[in-house]
Amino acid sequence: MSKENDKTPEFVRPATGPNATYPPADRWDDWTEYDSRAWPRRVERRYTIVPTLCFNCEAACGLLAYVDRETLEVRKFEGNPVHPGSRGRNCAKGPATLNQITAPDRVLYPMRRAGARGEGRWERVSWDEALEDIGGRVRRALAEDRRDEVMYHVGRPGEDGYMSRVLQAWGVDGHNSHTNVCSASGRTGYAFWMGDDRPSPDYANARCILLISAHLETGHYFNPHAQRIMEGKQRGAKLIVLDVRLSNTASQADHWVSPWPGSEAAILLAVAKILIDSGRIDREFVRRWVNWDEYLRARRPDLPVTFDAFLEALGAEYAEYTPEFAERESGVAADTVRMIAEEVARAGSALSTHVWRSAAAGNLGGWQVARCLFFLNVLTGSVGSVGGVSPNVFHKFTPAPFRKPPAQNVWNELTWPEQYPLAHHEMSFLMPHLLRDTSHKLEVYFSRVYNPVWTNPDGFAWVRALRDESKIGLHVALTPTWNETAWWADYVLPMGHASERHDNQSQETHASKWVGFRQPVVRVARERLGLPVGKVYETNPGEVWEEDEFFIELSWRIDPDGALGVRQHFESPYREGEKVTIDEYFRWMFENSVPGLPERAAEEGLEPLAYMRKYGVFEVKRDVYAGEQHGRAVPAADMESSRVDAATNVVYGAGGAAVGVMVDGAPVVGFPTPSRKLELYSSTLAEWGWPEHALPGYIRSHVHHSVLERDRGEFALVPTFRLPVAIHTRSANAKWLTELAHTNPLWLNTVDAERLGVRTGELVKVSTDIGFFVLKAWVTEGIRPGVVGCSHHMGRWRQKDAKPGEGALDRWASAVVDLRENADGTWQVHKLAGAGPFESHDPDSRRVWWGDVGVHQNLTFPVHPDPISGQHCWHQRVRVERAAGVSEGDIFVDQKRAEIVYREWLAMTRPARGEWRRPLWLHRPYKPTLAAYRREPVAAD
Amino acid sequence: MKLAKIIDNTRCIGCHACSTACKSENEVQLGVDRTRVKYVETGTFPNVRRHFQVTRCNQCEHPPCVYICPVTAMYQRPDGIVEFDQDVCIGCRACMAACPYDAIYMDPDTHSAAKCHFCMHRVEVGLQPACVVVCPEEAIIVGDLEDPESVVSKRIAREATQVRKPELGTQPKLYYIGGSHATLRPEAAARPDADIFMWANQRPGDETVGRGAGNVAGALLAYDVGHATPWGTDVALYMWTKSIAAGVMLVAALVALFGRVAGPASSPLVTVFAPLLAILFLVATTVLLVVDLEKPAKFYTILTRPQWKSWLTRGAVILMGFGIVTALWLLPEVSAVIVGRDLLPIWFFRMLAVPVVLFAAAAAGYTAFLLAQCTGRELWATPLAAPHLVVQALVAGSAALVIAGVAVSAGGAFLPAVFLFTLLAHAAFVAAELGMPHRSPHVSRAVDTIVRGKYASIFWLAVIAAGVALPLATVLLLGAFPLAWSFAAACALVGLFAWEYVWVFGGQAVPLS
Repeated sequence: MSKENDKTPEFVRPATGPNATYPPADRWDDWTEYDSRAWPRRVERRYTIVPTLCFNCEAACGLLAYVDRETLEVRKFEGNPVHPGSRGRNCAKGPATLNQITAPDRVLYPMRRAGARGEGRWERVSWDEALEDIGGRVRRALAEDRRDEVMYHVGRPGEDGYMSRVLQAWGVDGHNSHTNVCSASGRTGYAFWMGDDRPSPDYANARCILLISAHLETGHYFNPHAQRIMEGKQRGAKLIVLDVRLSNTASQADHWVSPWPGSEAAILLAVAKILIDSGRIDREFVRRWVNWDEYLRARRPDLPVTFDAFLEALGAEYAEYTPEFAERESGVAADTVRMIAEEVARAGSALSTHVWRSAAAGNLGGWQVARCLFFLNVLTGSVGSVGGVSPNVFHKFTPAPFRKPPAQNVWNELTWPEQYPLAHHEMSFLMPHLLRDTSHKLEVYFSRVYNPVWTNPDGFAWVRALRDESKIGLHVALTPTWNETAWWADYVLPMGHASERHDNQSQETHASKWVGFRQPVVRVARERLGLPVGKVYETNPGEVWEEDEFFIELSWRIDPDGALGVRQHFESPYREGEKVTIDEYFRWMFENSVPGLPERAAEEGLEPLAYMRKYGVFEVKRDVYAGEQHGRAVPAADMESSRVDAATNVVYGAGGAAVGVMVDGAPVVGFPTPSRKLELYSSTLAEWGWPEHALPGYIRSHVHHSVLERDRGEFALVPTFRLPVAIHTRSANAKWLTELAHTNPLWLNTVDAERLGVRTGELVKVSTDIGFFVLKAWVTEGIRPGVVGCSHHMGRWRQKDAKPGEGALDRWASAVVDLRENADGTWQVHKLAGAGPFESHDPDSRRVWWGDVGVHQNLTFPVHPDPISGQHCWHQRVRVERAAGVSEGDIFVDQKRAEIVYREWLAMTRPARGEWRRPLWLHRPYKPTLAAYRREPVAAD
Repeated sequence: MKLAKIIDNTRCIGCHACSTACKSENEVQLGVDRTRVKYVETGTFPNVRRHFQVTRCNQCEHPPCVYICPVTAMYQRPDGIVEFDQDVCIGCRACMAACPYDAIYMDPDTHSAAKCHFCMHRVEVGLQPACVVVCPEEAIIVGDLEDPESVVSKRIAREATQVRKPELGTQPKLYYIGGSHATLRPEAAARPDADIFMWANQRPGDETVGRGAGNVAGALLAYDVGHATPWGTDVALYMWTKSIAAGVMLVAALVALFGRVAGPASSPLVTVFAPLLAILFLVATTVLLVVDLEKPAKFYTILTRPQWKSWLTRGAVILMGFGIVTALWLLPEVSAVIVGRDLLPIWFFRMLAVPVVLFAAAAAGYTAFLLAQCTGRELWATPLAAPHLVVQALVAGSAALVIAGVAVSAGGAFLPAVFLFTLLAHAAFVAAELGMPHRSPHVSRAVDTIVRGKYASIFWLAVIAAGVALPLATVLLLGAFPLAWSFAAACALVGLFAWEYVWVFGGQAVPLS
């Protein structure tokens, strides 16, 4: 013991000076601190501190990895103080990265199925064999011009631009995403206003923050946004949260407003009406930036095209949306609606709003929730303003890599079927249905950090699709962990975690632009210590690769002699004809595509790549607001031989594309919409078959209270809410996070619980349209009566014959189940065991004290594709009753019923009828050629 | 310098970043925590709110864990931080029992007490604690209370702050801003009467602390982590064996003082059986004490590096003293055996009886002071505890001797009288300890657990019916038969053990945090 040694802590020594929160960057190379376990013995440990980016949500927060200089092991992860988005701070998921790299059940070696697909027998395979096999199959598809038969289906991209480049280099239309089970409706609502499909609020400077989301605990982008929401609140902003259930965010709000699910748009329109009627809108902003003239011409030819006439028309348009109407729809008191209107009006141009998933993702027509929310920003002039909301592109920076491949000349009808021409984006969750109902098939299907069997609705449809080798020729699961979907893969190829891979990533965390750099920290540490480095996998655990090197290598295998035109895109920009190295890829990007980076690096005497390796991030531009974006003049080059449309004032460039719009006589860039303005009236929606939704409006949800028979125990189920410590399907490998949260009981209001005679901890059976699941009840005042809620993170499972290392997903958080398919098209899942202590290299695995791991509810959901956004509308009409004759974790699904529900929703669509498959101006991940957009037979048909 | 911490609940979003960063920084195992976030929901729909409270060591200015630690493994640094030394700790769990805030746990690898120590290993190299660094909301602030310019000093001066359980006099140096009664007071919120919280199981250990209603209407504990009960059956057993050891010698000494004891031959019950029984039960007591340690092999350090404020240390010395005087009590008999006659003067027992009475009473009663050092366990802090323990020892001692007396066909009126009188007194003490107006909600809840709750059947059947009513009835009705007295004595001994049991467990049955 050493009381006498106790020193005055340095951080309080200069009493008023700055507290040292992090080791100073100039000492990151060689940093010494005391071993926390040996303390109070002062045992010194020497680290080299390497920055990287977190990969546990999409925020790309900065991390510092403490790499032991002796053992080259990563000791811990802390925040990167240099990172402008996360500013050195993290949520629980940041430090838990350590769990993920040391998880006992992670995939360390490439595995190939040994028996039939889905049989669960696996064997180790060499990377070389795997690459050769996969490359050969892709090569064959390309050579035979089956360019819609290679698909890359991604859950968490975690990168900007790399994969679109790979896929375009291959010439395939093969990108698929998770967007339609996530943010499709949120995006659609924004896209029809401004072209860009994501909002970037400037919370820190807001006077009112209106959230239809849980940004103080989850969401894009939880940690960076939570910092700034609280910053705004501490400066006096009012925080209003619309959420059916009491989220942690709602708990910290000045006002928690719990509407009936799906009624949010009614409330927002009532607020809009109050603003319009009382004239508390930003007239100048609306006059300059909204396409009110187009609205008048299309809808009110009886009126003169003047702004005053427009305001009058607008009042009439929304006359029915009184606070009392909103109250009838939502159950929220009319006075509360008026209160919200007061706060919104008071905030003026400093109104920050956000909706991401939540109401948008839950309801039929949820995209109108996002549209109605942004309506308030438009009316108050809080678009691109200080304290307002900008299009995300203002605040995101994607540097171009070397040698851009041409657009692919092919259209993939599996991801972009013509029933959903306006979808945002790929109709990913319908893939099993479309595979079955059409002649399309896939030669090679890559699932990457994506788990559709578990994540998507109607997971058994995915099981059926994945095991059909005539439809999916080869399934390659690129994943760091075993998951429910990988069970039905042909190859399971281990990919690196946040500290084991390269990515460039940027996000709209606040009113600035930055580029972050994820890197394999042990490799960087070796480099610093003067040790030789080669491929990333050489420094990763086991035989774990990173995707970037994988796709370079695979592309060379696809096109070994360059005949297919693929290889050229993976040749070094510095050494002609040689395979590009990962260092060269990023070196070129940082030297050529990030403005200001080479200069900044030079100030420190570093090459741009070395600068990024040292700091892990670069701030491209600070304080980006509207004036520099939509308000900027059309560049002179674009104005050459341009013409201005007399009616619409849109400026068309020499090539015929819209380049701007005349505003008060000056050509400005405007917004990437057909009118180059914010579109109150969407000519696109009108022209593509939805004239009734051409304006922001209110669509009654499929779980509207009028459709429920509450006397019969029917409820609206909100199955989408997230927890602050969980990462969708990807935190089962983090023991600290799993210890904090591991189950998902059914949240049930006290009055409903009394009605049903259910108490906390007792079992309830929740029946959907196609099946049921059984779980414990959590009786709370924190949810609207008539609505039940269930977090979507939990209920992970592994099949009873899955062995650790061979198919068994992380034992911290998964139940052992017996999964049975019956002859009549029904499926059953029966839980055999929950979590419990197990043997592994981690002594903590013997200390697992929890047993519950929740129930997998998504299996019992039929697909609910919104006919416009293509979003799966998550909320369910369910019947809740006390469970009898069933046990916790039981699941039952009737696939025939699922099919009927799919047909019902499909019948709501209005397919493309005109010249194009999709409006040309709407976003689409890596757009194909114009020819591919045309609705005429293409190669794949 | 006086280091302190502010946790700003107006900023806290309950995200558990601090919980996880702490696990990472300090390599804290599953099942134990140095810091956690407690959630309490209040109100009825739609006027509901969830309150968060980051809950951890309070770095008390007057730390009960330091005062009770027998070996200075828990100690206070000059800067006020309560630090622990895992190499010194013997694993007696007294600090866990003493801490009013449930902040200490046993490290499952080192078998030592551990807790938040302000990340002093970081602070000494100039870094702030890991939780401060990670917090997205900068809701945790640390600094020097003695520096008026520090952020901590300024905010405490300017803003309303709260600490947990200020009435206990520990003077926490963890200040909450915007703290809520519903989370600050452990008794405020109802604990779900099931095995789950809003997204997690309740931890094993939770079932040992109270469930059910809180005293704030509608307040519901929505998330927390459980805490193991530090002291278990072996502690109750140790109190019982110690009571017998001390009791037989107390009774023997009283007989020597007030009765006629001339030598070993005159009363072997007093001169031989009593000290032998005492030594037997003293050895049992010692074995129980040592076995109960997480690190039994380090038992000796209680003597090599004693912390004299600890009643564990003091108790060890008392027990040694008691052992010595008890051994001396055997001297006449030993000399008789060795040299064939009693070498000691006639007044030997009378002279030795005084220190024996003192040491025996101290051995019986010191546990009252030890339990009172457990600041958080308010049930135990009763002024009646010490006299009650002495009375229990007298019951136990006389009962043991009554039983032994049958074996040697000795006795007389004195023993039964002591037994009967002290048994009645014990009953009166039990009534008083449980029935007197309760000093705090904590005590009410603990008493409730004993009288009406989890331990009610043990209390009513074993402590009262078997331990008091049955022996009294037996001797009143069948007092003429010697075996009836033995039966009554055995019943009383059972009752006494049951009482120690409910007292030990009941005292720990109330949630502290």
